[in-house]
Amino acid sequence: MRHLKPRPAVLFLTILLSGALTACGGGGDSGSTPATSTAAAVSASFSPSAVLGEKIYNDVSLSASGRQSCATCHSPDNAHGPTNDFAVQLGGPNGDVPGFRASPSLRYMQQTPAFHFEADGTPVGGFNRDGRARTLQEQAERPFLAAHEMANVSKADVVARLQRASYAAQFRATFGDNIFDNVDQAFSRAQFALQQFENEDPRFHPFDSKYDLFLAGKAKLSDAELRGLALFNDPTKGNCAACHPSARGAGGSAPLFTDFSYDNLGVPRNMRIAATQDAAYFDLGLCGPDRTDLADRTDLCGAFKVPTLRNVATRKVFFHNGAFTNLTDVVRFYVTRDTNPERWYPVNADGTVDKFNDLPPAMRGNVNTAEVPYNRRPGMAPALNEAEIADLVQFLGTLTDGYQH
Amino acid sequence: MKQRVISAALAAAFLAAPVAALAQDTDLAKRVEQLAAELEKVKAELAAQRAQAAAAPAPRAEATSVPAQPAAAAPASAPMVAAASDTVFSGYGEVNYNHPVRNASGAQTDLRRAVIGIQHRFDEKTKVVAEFEWEHAIASASDRGESAIEQMYVEREFNNGLRGKAGLFLMPVGLLNQNHEPTAYYGVERNFVETAIIPTTWREAGVGLSGEFGNGFTWDTGLTTGFDLTKWDAASDEGRESPLGAIHQEGQLAKSRDLQLHGALNWRGYPGLLVGGSVFTGKAGHATTDFAANDARVTLAELHTRYTPGAWDLSALWAYGRISNTEALNATFVGKPTPVPSSFAGWYLQAAYKLWQGNEYALSPFARFESFDTARTYASQPAGLGVPTTPYERVATVGANLMVAQGVVLKADYQKFRQDKSRDRVNLGVGFSY
Repeated sequence: MRHLKPRPAVLFLTILLSGALTACGGGGDSGSTPATSTAAAVSASFSPSAVLGEKIYNDVSLSASGRQSCATCHSPDNAHGPTNDFAVQLGGPNGDVPGFRASPSLRYMQQTPAFHFEADGTPVGGFNRDGRARTLQEQAERPFLAAHEMANVSKADVVARLQRASYAAQFRATFGDNIFDNVDQAFSRAQFALQQFENEDPRFHPFDSKYDLFLAGKAKLSDAELRGLALFNDPTKGNCAACHPSARGAGGSAPLFTDFSYDNLGVPRNMRIAATQDAAYFDLGLCGPDRTDLADRTDLCGAFKVPTLRNVATRKVFFHNGAFTNLTDVVRFYVTRDTNPERWYPVNADGTVDKFNDLPPAMRGNVNTAEVPYNRRPGMAPALNEAEIADLVQFLGTLTDGYQH
Repeated sequence: MKQRVISAALAAAFLAAPVAALAQDTDLAKRVEQLAAELEKVKAELAAQRAQAAAAPAPRAEATSVPAQPAAAAPASAPMVAAASDTVFSGYGEVNYNHPVRNASGAQTDLRRAVIGIQHRFDEKTKVVAEFEWEHAIASASDRGESAIEQMYVEREFNNGLRGKAGLFLMPVGLLNQNHEPTAYYGVERNFVETAIIPTTWREAGVGLSGEFGNGFTWDTGLTTGFDLTKWDAASDEGRESPLGAIHQEGQLAKSRDLQLHGALNWRGYPGLLVGGSVFTGKAGHATTDFAANDARVTLAELHTRYTPGAWDLSALWAYGRISNTEALNATFVGKPTPVPSSFAGWYLQAAYKLWQGNEYALSPFARFESFDTARTYASQPAGLGVPTTPYERVATVGANLMVAQGVVLKADYQKFRQDKSRDRVNLGVGFSY
């Protein structure tokens, strides 16, 4: 699958949407655990919708279990991602229903364009790992209603809980006295409030990593970090920047380390996901099962969104299925997937390697084997050696928000 | 009719005089301006006496090279002039064919550029000059052509001989930048030093002042927009082709926090000889928030000479550019192929000889040797992370210009490259200028 840098139009949109970011980006106090006074100061600048959004985001009473909020899986204490190392988070009425995909960080999502196909057919943009939500507002719907997440039985269920919330009066004051009379509208406003909170709270996009300061000429990378950046950028070595751009965008916008494209990496099947006990179950990303509109695009089966690499070092699990729990292993997988597949995939009884075992055999040809560093065969040297892998991981550590001088 | 002939002769002999011929007179610039003003008067009289419609053929210029100000050289009998004697249209264009000798599949033909010039004189001392250009035949969202305003400035002559200009104008640098019509230079393609090192056609927006010291000296100075280093793309090879060409602003929403000063001095105190030089300097970071090279300064200096004794046309040019304070910025580019060079430079020697001149034709074979390096040095980087500097590329070009009438040129040449031999090529071209 080819990857495109976002078109100028996309970049323009990006810059347009980042207008709000420039006013708040780079705040020195927007680290992982801002002081209460700082948080209060930040909240003071919110729009009424965003103020509500923050309350909704942290409100466990909006879940069937009464124990789960957005912040449970997207904790501000860990780059708005999970704090545990579960491959998939647990939800449902009793908090014991496993999900299907690893929870992503919610940081740096604000500039994601809506899902679309580029002129050359490359799929780009969208929210969720399969891009099926067009906006953050739309993305906010599913967690309220999914059986393995907050598990409300309906929108009316959610709205009823909203009406009992301590901020119900504020909700009415913001969206109209009669807002709760119309379930769909009230639910939609809650989604909107969440979107505004994510857009307006600088903690979702602080741009204060060591790398940001380095780009600004205000910090120096260590030799190992700098070597890692070189490997990251080098098209013949890591080639990471091909999908995770490290350079400023048009107009000088800070790099997001994603080009919003999709890739099929052939990540190993993760047997820690309960659903995989069914041998017939496959998560095919763009072409299903969660996403249904591209079900007939079998060429896209197995492709998942290229995530931002900002805060990647804070992740406890990696890839859409949480198959990896160690960043060094992730980099090793990239460079040895094709030179030493036996390291990552089960070996069949006949000694052959069951490569790309998280895809149906008919779809394994969709996996990206063309680009560096995948373009290798057993017996060839990996694109990076162990020392280079260590350097690259050192560099990835500079992408963590809240760098303290 | 007599006046028509006089005006046409004036136009041809002075305003359409070639640069080489212009160099023969010490107070040339001043005289040209005087003659231009006189010509405007003659044209006005002509317009009042338009009893005859037939156009008198313009006498042929004696030289093969281009008028210094082609816009001022439109024939007096041209219909456009007749319609508006204060407004003169000009134009130039070229179509080139390149044939790499080691890669026939790379052969390419391109309408390099088509340019329309409009000059309007408000009075004897005040004019506006504009040039509209299309490159590569088609400019659209799905095509690779460009459409650009190459110049648009107003100029005013003051009583003390000074000339001030404001707008978008060509920088007074080298031999080619201000006289870049295809009839003005030898060879199908513009030389490398004055494209890769000096980003011809280099224009900036701002104000300029020109004058003379006497004794054949003319000077130019000005305050203009400069370069925008925040545009540098280390992943593209554009910066390797022409460092300054990759970051010039061309008067388009140009960042202007940092401006550029320039100064040029030329001497024409000996018949047929031009010696000159220029310096340009300005910062290029524009105080951009969180940009690692706000102290970067771009400086370009060059020296040039041209000597035209008899049938010979000899020229030489040296140019040197620097971009300072790029260490921190280049650190952010490690692993990418094109960091910002700290220096780039080049020089060339060129000799042409008018071998044969007929009634309507003139044949001038030429030879040019160039040496240039777009990445002569880089600011230091930690061991193992830097990009090796490139060696000087050396290019030898031999060929000929065939002038037809006065404004059409047919060109052919062969270029041999010392470093990248895959670029060796044969070029053919046709161009015009009026």
